[in-house]
Amino acid sequence: MTDAAKIPAHRWLVIPKHRHLKWPALDPLEAALMVGCGICMSGFTACVFFDVVTRELRMPWLWLQQFTTGFFAWGVFIGMAAATRRLDHIYLAEITRHMKGTRRLVIETLNRLVVLAVALVMVWFGTRIAIVDMGQFRMPSLIPMTAYTAAVPFAGALVALFAIEQLVNGWRNGFEGPEDNEYMGEAPE
Amino acid sequence: MSNGALIVLMGGSFLLLGYLGVPVAFAIIAGVLLATAFTPVSFDSIVGQLFHGIDAETLLAIPFFLLVGELMTSADVTQRMIRLAQAMVGHLRGGLAQVVTLFSMFFAGISGSSAADVAVLARTVAPEMDKEGYDRSFTAALIASASTIANLIPPSIMAVVYGATGNVSIGGLFLGGIVPGVLIGIGLMVYSYFFGPVGKLKPRATYTELFSAARGSALPMVIPLIIMGGILTGAFTPTEAGMVAAVYILVILIPALRPTHIRDLPRDFMYTGLVYALPLSAVAAASAFGWMLAYLRGPDTVAGAIKAFAGTDPVLIMLLLVVLFIIVGDFVDAVPAIIIFMPIVNALTELGDIKPVHMGVVLVTTLAFGLITPPYGLSLLISAKFVGVPFGKAMVRSLPLYVVFLGTILFCVFFPEVVLFLPKWLLPESVGCFKSPTGPGYICPP
Repeated sequence: MTDAAKIPAHRWLVIPKHRHLKWPALDPLEAALMVGCGICMSGFTACVFFDVVTRELRMPWLWLQQFTTGFFAWGVFIGMAAATRRLDHIYLAEITRHMKGTRRLVIETLNRLVVLAVALVMVWFGTRIAIVDMGQFRMPSLIPMTAYTAAVPFAGALVALFAIEQLVNGWRNGFEGPEDNEYMGEAPE
Repeated sequence: MSNGALIVLMGGSFLLLGYLGVPVAFAIIAGVLLATAFTPVSFDSIVGQLFHGIDAETLLAIPFFLLVGELMTSADVTQRMIRLAQAMVGHLRGGLAQVVTLFSMFFAGISGSSAADVAVLARTVAPEMDKEGYDRSFTAALIASASTIANLIPPSIMAVVYGATGNVSIGGLFLGGIVPGVLIGIGLMVYSYFFGPVGKLKPRATYTELFSAARGSALPMVIPLIIMGGILTGAFTPTEAGMVAAVYILVILIPALRPTHIRDLPRDFMYTGLVYALPLSAVAAASAFGWMLAYLRGPDTVAGAIKAFAGTDPVLIMLLLVVLFIIVGDFVDAVPAIIIFMPIVNALTELGDIKPVHMGVVLVTTLAFGLITPPYGLSLLISAKFVGVPFGKAMVRSLPLYVVFLGTILFCVFFPEVVLFLPKWLLPESVGCFKSPTGPGYICPP
């Protein structure tokens, strides 16, 4: 058995599911987002660790808290984008999985259009906020607020891209897939 | 459009889109944006709220409690705790069912995630239960029910979210959650003993076996002490305690017990990075929902309606909120539910002069119950899938177990002094006590 075969599918950099809804060209982007999640989680852990250590040594690095918040917030929004491509978000129901044909096409399309609309709002208004935030700074590090709030339009753009990818491929290949028979989402296999 | 109509539009479109299959975070934002379009509020404010909703120091604890659970699970260290549970209760009637519950209580002290608990048990104990002839529906129902304890016994992610959004002491909520967590655990064990399948009766473990199992699981069992010890002594905040526990696993536990796992650590970090984003993107969206709900004076309206019915009677107010949260928990994920309804809960807590920690413990217990109730019983859904049984069958088998949860919730409502005993004893400030100006000790208002 290869190493890759031993790793459960949900932990792969590019999840091997719903391939009929995806362009292989965007796989490196999904992998990069997963690496981004890892960097944010490690950076965030390291920042809290050094925050405690420097505080205990009575030489606190106050700017560490701002980096912690930055890693945390970017991690949330990068993860939001990655989860959109991996169809890994929290769902209330999966009624479409039991549907076929036109009805499924209509509802799946509606769902993606809602996600796309929300993502475009995040891009447009998030960018406006990020531009305004260029003139505001977090003390004591003097990091511009834009460094934090830019995560919103960044995630919005990626979510929009993945929603379009799923729409186009869903229309081309159909939304039905081999994963319809299993419970999808937040649970590890 | 009136405020009431806008609230109905916002909540209704969220539920409709959510049940059509739009991810929770996007369904919430879509509902909020739709209602906002009929008000003078700008979309900039709503989008800004997405960031500000997660810009809270206390929420930083969530990734660590998930990381701790992920590291323990993926490094397979949890096997040692299962062995200890087997040595302690494996000889009882329904031995493996008792092991499931006891392990969940142990694991709850390490991880704040029910999903991780279900994953571990479904992978390890469920196949054994299958071999011993346990009904699969019962196995799925029991694993799901026991996994909810992870949300009660500290560290609990629900308690962190509740504390962070409601400005309630997280340490107090952690300590208060121990009582319902243990009560549910005992209730499930008693049910399994008298009414569950018999399983294969095994001899009682010898003292040598018990000692060996305890020694084997000693290193993982230090984690709850690190977390609660750090918080109670004031050495760490909940976030820092989570980080110290994660570092302990990385630096001591994995090298000592599972050194080969070290090369897989980058993957653990990547996966946890993704997993923590899921509830927190719902938090970001729900905070925009809560903000809009407050703008539309939703809390005042609901609080007014409850006041008209219950007056200022704390017990009646709590019971009405329990009913509300049982219904909400059936349809909505716990994390957004806490944030969306927090303004209402705060208003009613004040109205009934209820201790915020007491209210928090009761509502978190109620939402934990929501994890096994249909249609959105997340733990039961995951458990049924892993064990390989239809959700409907697992749900029917879990119905008798509801008594344990309802009994525990009612106990917590009617006996606040028991729920608040540990917070008052170990963290008096968390329940409104203050240092006596005339000498040692604390003065606690009634």
